[in-house]
Order: sequence, then structure tokens, then C-alpha cells
Amino acid sequence: MIEIRPSRLASLLGVHRNTVRNWIRSGKLAAKPGVGKRYVISRSELAEFLRARQVSAGVIQELTDRQPGVSAGAGKTRYQKPDIDREVPMSDKPVGSVMVVGGGIAGIQSALDLAESGYFVYLLEKSPGIGGNMARLDKTFPTNDCAM
Amino acid sequence: MSESFEPKIIGFLCNWCAYAGGDLAGVMRIQYPPNLRAIRVMCSGMVHPEVVVEALCNGADGVIVMG
Amino acid sequence: MNIELLTLSEIVDVAGQAGNFTVTVKKNPRYIDMDKCIACGICAQRCPKKVDDEFNMGIAKRKAAYIPYGQTVPLKYVIDPVNCLYFTKGKCRACEKFCPTGAVNFEDKEEILDFSVGSLILSPGFKPYDPSGLDFYGYGKIPDVVTSMEYERMLSAGGPFQGHLEKRSDGRAPKSIAWIQCVGSRNTNQCENGYCSSVCCMYAMKQALITETHIAGGGEQTIFMMDLRAHGKEFERYHQYALEHNVRFVRARPHTIDPGPGNSGVSMRYVTEDGRTMKEDFDMAVLSVGMEASDDARRLAEKTGISLNHYQFAQTSSFKPAASTREGIFIGGAFGGPLNIPTAVAQASSAAAEAARGLASSKNSLTREKKYPAETNIAGKEPRIGVFVCSCGVNISSTVDVEAVVEYTKSLPNVVFVENNMFSCSTDTQQMMAKAVAENELNRIVVAACSPRTHEPLFQDTLKEAGLNGYLLEMANIRNHNAWVHQKEPEKATQKAMDQVRMAVAKARMVQPLDKLQVDVIQKALVVGGGPAGLSAALGLADQGYETVLVEKTGQLGGNALNIRKTAKGEDVGPALREMIRNVEANQRIRVLKNARLTSVNGIVGSFSSDVEAEGKTEHIEYGAAILATGGRETVPEQYLYGTDSRVMTHLEFDRELADHAGRVKQANTAVFIQCVGSRNEKRNYCSRICCTHTAKSAIELKEQNPDMNVYVLYRDIRTYGAKEDFYTKARKLGVKFIRYDPKDNDPEVYQEDAGLKVRVTDPILGLPVVIDTDYLVLAAAIEANEVSDLLSLFRCDTNQDGFLNEAHPKLRPVDLAVDGLFMAGMAAYPKMIEGSVSQARAAVSRAGVILSRNRMYLDAVKSYVTEQCDGCAVCLDVCPYDAISLTEETIDGRSVKKVSTEAALCKGCGLCEATCPKQGIQVHSFTNNQLRAQVRAALDLPN
Repeated sequence: MIEIRPSRLASLLGVHRNTVRNWIRSGKLAAKPGVGKRYVISRSELAEFLRARQVSAGVIQELTDRQPGVSAGAGKTRYQKPDIDREVPMSDKPVGSVMVVGGGIAGIQSALDLAESGYFVYLLEKSPGIGGNMARLDKTFPTNDCAM
Repeated sequence: MSESFEPKIIGFLCNWCAYAGGDLAGVMRIQYPPNLRAIRVMCSGMVHPEVVVEALCNGADGVIVMG
Repeated sequence: MNIELLTLSEIVDVAGQAGNFTVTVKKNPRYIDMDKCIACGICAQRCPKKVDDEFNMGIAKRKAAYIPYGQTVPLKYVIDPVNCLYFTKGKCRACEKFCPTGAVNFEDKEEILDFSVGSLILSPGFKPYDPSGLDFYGYGKIPDVVTSMEYERMLSAGGPFQGHLEKRSDGRAPKSIAWIQCVGSRNTNQCENGYCSSVCCMYAMKQALITETHIAGGGEQTIFMMDLRAHGKEFERYHQYALEHNVRFVRARPHTIDPGPGNSGVSMRYVTEDGRTMKEDFDMAVLSVGMEASDDARRLAEKTGISLNHYQFAQTSSFKPAASTREGIFIGGAFGGPLNIPTAVAQASSAAAEAARGLASSKNSLTREKKYPAETNIAGKEPRIGVFVCSCGVNISSTVDVEAVVEYTKSLPNVVFVENNMFSCSTDTQQMMAKAVAENELNRIVVAACSPRTHEPLFQDTLKEAGLNGYLLEMANIRNHNAWVHQKEPEKATQKAMDQVRMAVAKARMVQPLDKLQVDVIQKALVVGGGPAGLSAALGLADQGYETVLVEKTGQLGGNALNIRKTAKGEDVGPALREMIRNVEANQRIRVLKNARLTSVNGIVGSFSSDVEAEGKTEHIEYGAAILATGGRETVPEQYLYGTDSRVMTHLEFDRELADHAGRVKQANTAVFIQCVGSRNEKRNYCSRICCTHTAKSAIELKEQNPDMNVYVLYRDIRTYGAKEDFYTKARKLGVKFIRYDPKDNDPEVYQEDAGLKVRVTDPILGLPVVIDTDYLVLAAAIEANEVSDLLSLFRCDTNQDGFLNEAHPKLRPVDLAVDGLFMAGMAAYPKMIEGSVSQARAAVSRAGVILSRNRMYLDAVKSYVTEQCDGCAVCLDVCPYDAISLTEETIDGRSVKKVSTEAALCKGCGLCEATCPKQGIQVHSFTNNQLRAQVRAALDLPN
């Protein structure tokens, strides 16, 4: 199994990343959601899919033959997330990540506790920024500290 | 002493209270005269008397230790 | 690092099951590229469209291109497509034209993303009640009637009025302000919110006290309330503080607000407790609005398939306070009902612990640790200082002449690189700094920007990524301590900024790389106390894979819960408690030591050890973190004939009477409850919190068994907070009579007469004395923490004046003790119900997990160290508050040499030793005498 990023695959194939996601959603591309915006797929299935899309053999080779742990983003700026970076084991074990919905003081606390205890966290917030109602408070008692 | 006397005041500010208070004064845009030169310390108790005396001997018009 | 923040996002669907959910998320377009936006604010400046600002509760305007507030995280602008002229009218795009980085992207599209996660925590929060529907309060029509949330924004220095209070009718400063409590709470007539919102009494007092400092002369503050609900830790004292500051409390619920004379201010009508109709004018009225479930929360519940209770809050149970009705989905914060900040924070931690429970086998499978390049060795190298002067958008540069500061800085010794940045904290500046370090071989960095208290960690991280030790950074706070506070004196501010930079450079020349202190973590835990809190804590820790020792002083697990029949929510305690005890005793990872006590505690966070004496044997245990759940107890009343007349009993005794002699109780004609027996007085200056609910529940039980029984409750304030208000409402409906007493001038008198038991009290509504002939007198005896001062002194932690454990921070770290690695749960922290104890225990588990999950932890390197000058005079030993210094003696060349040595793990770097030592024999890293001296000399512009 290897991980792919829809955006990277999309630019390779010259389509929009949502198209790639739609392929995945509809099952045309047999990938399963992984961590972050990445998906996991078996090497052979990805190679086959790419061949069907008439991608050159060299590129397919480059994408599917990468050694685990070698970042495809090497040489780029450090904020570039790797598109394929490692093999992922598939098992019946639970997923070691948690989604926290709501970025108020409670959501922030849950997310911090989990992230610091060994779990990956997605913190979902409906508005443009986190902070919730507490950010609106001027001060808090009993110390009358600034709520920020 | 001329009217334009601008004292030089050295402040030792505790990181946890007085320095934080200084930060808050900024957030609240509380205006005060620009004569203080603040030195952040981890506790007002770490300021050695010698350092204070030396500041006064070397031309500081005042020293304030806040914590 | 291990948190991916997804803003503008909402859940569309949740598939799968606990351990393996696939969550489909809709990510709405921001129309601004987060990677390119530098938060300069030009888009908002240029945006022509003004709309109501929801962050400021609509009392101010924002643009269609905006950030919600100044400290928004992430600090990236957003375009609101509902109001943007381009989206609504088809033209404008001014923001796009003026954006200096080309971040505006009108082609941005919503994305549908799938995530695979093991658990979900839902914490959508609450919505402040909208009082527009209560026409008798005139909200929305009378300009000087505002909600408490709006008032909060008005008081805020960062709010639309910069903290200058003004009446919205005529812009004048108000003098008299009235708060009306329970607006949208404890009300089933005009809204469906029969519950108490729990927080309004305290925030109204807070607002009244802050208002005093905002009005010249202090003004007059009046709070109209039904019951004052100050049922938390230190709340009573805050109430007394408010009284000392002349906040007036009036027991009434005003029924009408009319506009004041000339449509300025308000005219309020209310009826006092003794039935007089009053009319009083105020400059402003603040409606203390309650919390209610938001529509978003309701939709979230639908999408995730969880059940809500009759108040539209998430349904939970007492023994699983964070679990929703669907496995693998948990409730955080005020989604389960109104909570104050510390309880919401604790609840969130407990939800985190629950969410992690089923995932323990996959712990650390998806998290990453940040890797830094190897540190450059700078030993012996001449300082090469790089200075970065921040403009902070216009925050600094509008007052301080940043260019002049840059030019001046170039002339300072050892400075080889100076640059001005728009935002030093932005991602691209950070990258650029790393580049400058490499290109110019910089080995010390000065950032002249904002406060090190907020930004030092960020810049230290930048240094580390550039291969420099984080402690080679020095900051000059030219924003908070300068530009913001000298806005009217730009020249002097610029001069001060130069001085600040010079001082920072002087210190930077002397700073040295420091290594963080490493501690090998013992991944085991200790729990003290075997009540519901201790049992939950032990189970939670064991579920996370940590071996746990549970120490119980008695021979039996269960604590006070052994004497309690039902929880506040009505669940049977017995079976649940027995199951918990069974699970603890059967758990392979938990070892229970009964009749045990700790006799010693050594070590620090991550690495503690203790001797435990249990049943005659002593054994040595090691652990990385400990949870103290030492519990509390019902006190023995000293008044109202308790102990003299067998008809007078405490709550727990009456519970037993109800269980064992139900028939006898049913025959009774009359029962009287007296509240606050031993609480809220000089000896115990706090509210025992749980007794009002207990009384209401017992009174209901009596009325249900025998509707003809006369049941009286003599109370001071009824404090059935949250959804517990339902019990109070129900008790009143069933005919329970509530009579308020005041211990000062109307304390109930209990006496025996002709073998009868009598209670005399004056009814404040009738104004007449009442004598009740009763069969039972139930006293709501105070709850106090168990006496464990020996244990606490071993752990070096302390309690408040009332004997309850002190938290590290009353709002943000509600279960952490001041000593790192120690946590608290249950009644040792404050009286609470089983649900609260279990929740707090889980929160403590979550917090302890942060320490126990890693096998090594790092502590700050700012610690004391001993120099050559030390001659062992030992003056520093006595001043050290942490016992971190000891005297050592060794023989060198036949001479005995005395010196002190410091225990870095115990040292907090306060430097009392440094200030005490007459010969610089002991110093604190990064704050040595010479470094402080250099800063002083630089401040006075003397050569160093």
C-alpha cells in the first residue's frame, strides 16, 4: 500500500483535484482515505489506473517505485507535504486519529490533550478562526484575567 | 532642573506578572510616558541589589522592581 | 504539529463505527490563499462593503473581507461571499487589486474531503440566548438595553469602543447600570429553557466589578436576581468582594423595561420580595442572557446520529459523562448543557480521554515528532548578531520609525545583519530568517517585535530549524511595551525602540546555548483515593495502557458513593459502582493497595517514587504522574438540635431512613429541610453545591410517596444549577413550600415542645413568623475535603483557605495541580456530584496521559547553576522555595571544600539564590548578573 495526494495526482494527469476525489468516491480509483488529505492504494492498482490514463511508463515508475520513507517532496521547500512518503500497513486496528468538531475553548483543549498523548487530531471549525465564545469575553473572574 | 527633564528609569519586570501587565497595557492601549526601560526577569526576586545600586550609580534616575 | 486545523469546515456525513469512522467534511472556500496571506489587512481596508460584525455581537461593523478578531487563529483573512460585492453584484474585486501578495482567489471552490478517524468529539458550544422575543424588556427597541455578550464587547479594550463605556442612546458615559438575571434561563413561559445557565450570576458580578473601574467615580451597579448562584470554588468570596464594592443585589425579576426620559436610559418596574411595586431609572440595562443549544449543534447531532435531551443539549449519563448515545462519538464542552469555562475545559479533557480509550492500541501510529537539523557549534565564536525589526503591519510602524531603528541598529557592536519585516511571525518571514542565518553565519538573533511571552516559542523554533540553539534568541518588545503605549509620542517611542534594541543586542552578545533538561518518563501512574473519582481515574489510565497503583486508606473501595442510592439524573448508584469496583479489581494493569498510605514522595514530574505502607508492609513504587482523589465528606452539624433529637438528621442519614424505613417516612405529616448548615458561613466560606439538588430530590420523593405531606425547605438561595433546575421546578409544582431565611436576622429556630419538634422562621413574603411542627428535620450539612495535609506536604502542593486543592490555573488548567505531574479529581477539589467526579477523573487521566505517553520529556533549560565563586556559605539554601539547593562537601588535596549544588529538575529558575548570593556563586542561565548588568548599561547607553 502506498499513499497518494489527490492534488499531486491531479496535476500529473492534468485534471482538477476534485476530479480525482470524485474518482475515489465513485470507486473508479480504488483508494481509501488515509491521514490528512492523503489516500492509500495498492501499488499495482495505482499503476494499472495510470496506465489506463496513458501516463508515461517513466512517471508511473517514479510514482509507484518510490522507496518507503523517501519523500517525493525532497528538494522543495519544507512546507511542501510529500505526495507519497511511506508504506502504510492496513489492519483491523483502530485508527489512531480523532476528529474534534468545534474550535472553542473545549475543542481546543480536547485537541491539545489528544495531540500531546499520541493521537493525530483534525480540529474542525465552522467559522474562519478558532476561539469560540470565550474569545469574546473581556475578562474572566475570579482573577479578572484577560480571556485571551 | 529644566522643565524638559526626562528621567531614565530602569524597570525589572517579573515575567509572570509585571511584564505580563506591561503586555496587557499594550493590548489595552493604555498610554504612559516613554521613560521606562524594562528588563524582563523570571522573578522579581532574582534582581541582585548590586545590580540596582550599579544602575543608580551609573546615571539611572530611578529603578523600579515590579513583581 | 499533530493537529490539522480545518476552518470553514463542517461535517456532511459520518460512516463506519467506533475505531474506524470515515467522516466526510465540506470545506468552504476562503477565497484567500492561506499560504500567501500575510494578514496585512489591506483587503479589509479596501473592501467597500460594511456588514454587522458577528464577533462583536453586531454592535460594530466589519468588512466583507475580514478577520473575526485581532488574534484570530489562523491569522488569515477571509472573504464572506454572502456580502462581498463581487459575489452579490458581479463587480468590485478591490481586494484582489490591492492585495500585495496575490492571495485573493475568487475561483476558490468548496472541497469535499474524507477523513478516517478512530473517534469523534463534538464540541459545537452554545449560543447566547436572543432576547428579541421578550418584548417587555424592549431589547432591540430601547437603545440602552443590551445583552451581556454585547456588554462584554463594550467593556473590552479590543472591542468596538476600546473599552470606553458609552450609552448607545446619546453617547454619554453611564453612571447607573442594572443587570437582569435569568434572561432566557429558568423560564418556561416565554421560552423553553427551564434550566439554569449556571454562569450568569458570576459573570454579572464580574461585569459589575469591571464596570466600576470603567466609570469615573465607580458608578452604581445593581443586579436583579431570583437566587444568587455562586456554587463554585471561590465564588462565595467573589460575591463578598462584590458586596464590599457596593454592588447592590435586589431579589426581584423585573417585569417591564420602558425607555427612560428623553429615550435615554431605562425605566424599570419590579416587585420586591415583600410585594411592593417599584419603579427605578437606570442609565443602562444589561440582560444576563443564558446559554442555549445552537441550531448548528442540532444539525450536527442529526448528521452524527446522536440523541439530544429535552433541552436540545446532548444526552449523557452520570457514569459516562462524555459519551454520546453513539459509540465512538463523545461530547465536549457546553454541548451537554451549560458549563462555565473551567468545567468546559475539564469536560473537554475528559472527552479526550474517552475518545482515546478505544484507540490505545494505535497510539503514536499517526503522530509525528518534529525533527530539527543538528545544532551548529558556536563555542568560541565571536557573536554575529542578526536583528529583525518587525513592523507588525502598521501596529509598530505607525508609531515607531522602523526604518530609523534599522539604520541605528546597524551601528551596534557585533550586529552583522539587520532587516525590517512586515510581519516577523509570518511563515515566509520565518523561512527568510532561516536563510539569513545560513547566508550570514549568524549565531545570535534579536527579534524586535512583540512580547516574548507570546512569541518566544515561535522564534525559538525558527532558530532551531536554522540549526541554532533556541536560547540564542533575545526579543525586544517594541510593540506591547512601546508602539501601543506611546502612540502620541512617535519620536520618543522611536528613541525608546532604539534603546530596547540596544539592550537586547547587549544581552544577545552574552547568551549561550543551553540544553533542555531531559527526564526519562516512568510510564506508570499512581491514584490516591478509591471513591468514584479514583476508580474512574485508575480505569482510564489502565485503558490507556499505563500500569496504575490505586492507594485507598480504608479497607473498602467506593468512598462516599457507597452511601448514595441514586445519582442526580436518577440512575441507581449501587450496580454501577459495584461494576466499577469489579473492573478495577479484575484489571491486570491496576494494583489496589487497601488500608494503605504514602509515607514518602521523591522525584519530579515523569519520575516520582514513593513508599507505601499497606497492611503492615511497606513497598516502593515508581510512577510518572499521580492523580489525587482523596475525596470529601459530609460534616457533622453543630446546631438545630442535631445529635440531641433523633428526628434531626443529615442528608445521608435521611437517605438511609428512606431506604430502610420507607413505611415510617410515608406516614409522616411534615418534613422540614434546612439548607446551608455549616456552609456559607465564616468557618466554611463556600457553598457545598450539591445539597440544594439533594434536597429537591428528597422533597420530590416525599411528595410522590405521600402527596399530603407538608414539606418545607428553608433556604438561602436555591442553587439547582444547570438542568437540575428541573427538580426545583418539579418540587414547587408538587407543593413543596420554599421559605427563604437569612442567618443574620432570620435564622430558623429549632426547639422541642411537648415531645414535638418545632421550627420557627419568618416568611419574608408574608413578613410573618411561621411555626412548623415537624416529624423530620433534614439538615443539608456542609461538605468538606478530607484532611490529608500529611499527603499534601509530601507532594508539596497546597489547598485554598477552605481545604480544597488549588489548581494550576483556575480557568485553563482546572485539573492540574501547581506541582507538575500531579492532577486532582473528585471532592478533594470541590464538592461535586458523582457525574462531576467521574468527568473530572477522566480529565485528569487525559492530562496525565500527556506526560505518560512519551518515554522522555524535556524541561525548560532556564535553571540555576553553581559557579567557581561559590564558597559554600549556604545563604541560598534557605531562600530557595523549591528545596532545589543542597550543601555538598568534598575533600580536595586534603582540604575539605564546601559548595552548594542544585537539582535542576526541582529548580524553576526563579533566581532568588542569584539575588541572595554575595559573590555570584550561583546564577541562573540566560539571566545572570552580568547579563542583567549588560542590559542596564545598554539602557543607560554606557559601553559594555
